[in-house]
Amino acid sequence: MSFSKATLIAALLLFLFYILLIFSLLNFFEGRNFLQVFLAPDILFSIRLSLAAATLATLLAVAIALPAAYALSRLNFPGKKIVDTFLELPMIMSPVALGAALLIFFNTRSGTVIQEKGILFVFEFPGIVLAQFATIAGLAARLMKTALDEISPRYEAVARSLGSSAWGAFWKVTLPLSFRGLVSAVILCWAKAVGEFGATVTLAGTMAFKTETMPTAIFMALASADIQKTIILILILVGIGLTALYAVRLVEKRPHIL
Amino acid sequence: MIEIQDLNLRLGSFRMENLTLSLKEGAFNVLLGPTGSGKTLILESIIGLRNFQSGRIVVAGKQIQNLPPEKRGISYLPQDLALFPHLTVRENLLFGLKAQKKFSGVEENHLHHLIEVLKIGHLLERYPQGLSGGEKQRVALGRALAPSPGLLLLDEPLTALDPALKSEIQQLLIGLHRSIGFTALHVTHDLEEAYLLGDNINVLIDGRLEQNGKREEVFLRPRTLSVARFLGLRNLFPGKVLKAQEVERLITVGLWGREIIIPSSHTSGTLSTEEEVILYLRPEEVMILRPGKPIKESLRRNILAGVIERILDRGTHRWVLFRPTGLEVHLEINLPNYVFRDLGLKERQEIQVAIRRESFWVIPTQNGPEVRSLKSKT
Repeated sequence: MSFSKATLIAALLLFLFYILLIFSLLNFFEGRNFLQVFLAPDILFSIRLSLAAATLATLLAVAIALPAAYALSRLNFPGKKIVDTFLELPMIMSPVALGAALLIFFNTRSGTVIQEKGILFVFEFPGIVLAQFATIAGLAARLMKTALDEISPRYEAVARSLGSSAWGAFWKVTLPLSFRGLVSAVILCWAKAVGEFGATVTLAGTMAFKTETMPTAIFMALASADIQKTIILILILVGIGLTALYAVRLVEKRPHIL
Repeated sequence: MIEIQDLNLRLGSFRMENLTLSLKEGAFNVLLGPTGSGKTLILESIIGLRNFQSGRIVVAGKQIQNLPPEKRGISYLPQDLALFPHLTVRENLLFGLKAQKKFSGVEENHLHHLIEVLKIGHLLERYPQGLSGGEKQRVALGRALAPSPGLLLLDEPLTALDPALKSEIQQLLIGLHRSIGFTALHVTHDLEEAYLLGDNINVLIDGRLEQNGKREEVFLRPRTLSVARFLGLRNLFPGKVLKAQEVERLITVGLWGREIIIPSSHTSGTLSTEEEVILYLRPEEVMILRPGKPIKESLRRNILAGVIERILDRGTHRWVLFRPTGLEVHLEINLPNYVFRDLGLKERQEIQVAIRRESFWVIPTQNGPEVRSLKSKT
């Protein structure tokens, strides 16, 4: 078997593995119940909660990850490699462990002060946002750094020599040139936040109409042996995820000129 | 005058110590040096993209080393041109003017003049991706010159070009410089390019400014052996000063067991007796004597007999390798093709060559290690 044929078969097998996984759901899927389950108040709440929390977590993650990614991509500073390594921590750390670490933090003295004098996180909506933020912020910085790395720093050097400030050069040159990569990063992070379960359930719990996101709702439905609800929620989550991934492909396909 | 004074810069194991460089206002200055000599570091320091340990950069009497790049009034043209791909040619050209808020009639006229000289008027609505290599070079030059910078820095912008395009852009640069009269600092390792473009050439080797001056000064009268070697000069021979006659303005140098008297203006430093020196003899200056023809008195002192060991056709000229009888050295001789044909030279032919004393250039060494390294090679 030729090398290219072998790699092609591997790609096909991987594709079939995921397709079969999704198709297996349809064995137990009863279409007539779809709308009824989909429009149920608790499901609609979970969808709205997941989308709102993921969007907020993504915005917060981007706000900190973009400048961090710029610093890691463009600047040399002491401890850069250590910072860079720590950004990958959420990728190798189990989400449950991350959630547990957050939960433990809020039981420390400073965590308690934050809870008492500031915002309540544990078993509350901000907890969902924080759990999702913790999961995606490192990833966002990593993906955005990759997008910025692709743009030669010489563009900025030229822009500055022509009279642009550092902010101006970033805004007028680096940002438009890395825009597609950055948007792809945002979409991927948002999709990951929507699907986040481990950290969310540990920090925010599973309270219906309060902290029950879609992944949590899937877990709860499965725990109560409600297969129909489980399948419909999985399909909705897969639909959201695939739409996001398709959006990434669309962004990447756009012509270079914005 | 633009001056870099006492620049001290350290990067890893690379050191640049107390480098001082003067750029003539309105001139096309060239910073010439081999790869790794620190050319780009100097350039980045001038633009403001690299921090250095100490030093001053003075433009029009004003120190600018503490100003951010955008306040220095120095345009930069990198090797890859870095035309903004998301902007049209027009937007690229206007980028600097907009950033510096220069919207007066003077700037508008200057831009129109640039567009005309660079012949890029028909490209204004196009994006850089659709331009040819030559068009990109023209647009990048236009963008850099549009805000009328106090200094234009060119970082080897012609290195990656094919010979035809390189020649075209070199001509364009010369024309543009004559037409607009900007001050440029062109960084290159290309000797031919430096000679063609440079009004004023600065040779940088291992972070040291080895020589600066007009192109003829640098290329014909190297100050150090490092410069001579970097310039690829041949016919470098170790000798020793036997007598330095200050009154007569003559120096007597011992070379090949002879005493050669050379005008003292043909050296770049003050020489002392017993000092070891390097003698440089331009391959074009060695004269092959025609048998039976009378020899001028001035040539009679330095006549060498020997044999032609090899002849190469270099296209524009013939290269002849000559070995004087009884000496362990070779002389390289460049002959115009018509002279070569006229003389009817062949390999292994015995000939006589004459060298005028004015054809020697003496490079002082302060008895440094360089003369010993050359001795071991010859």
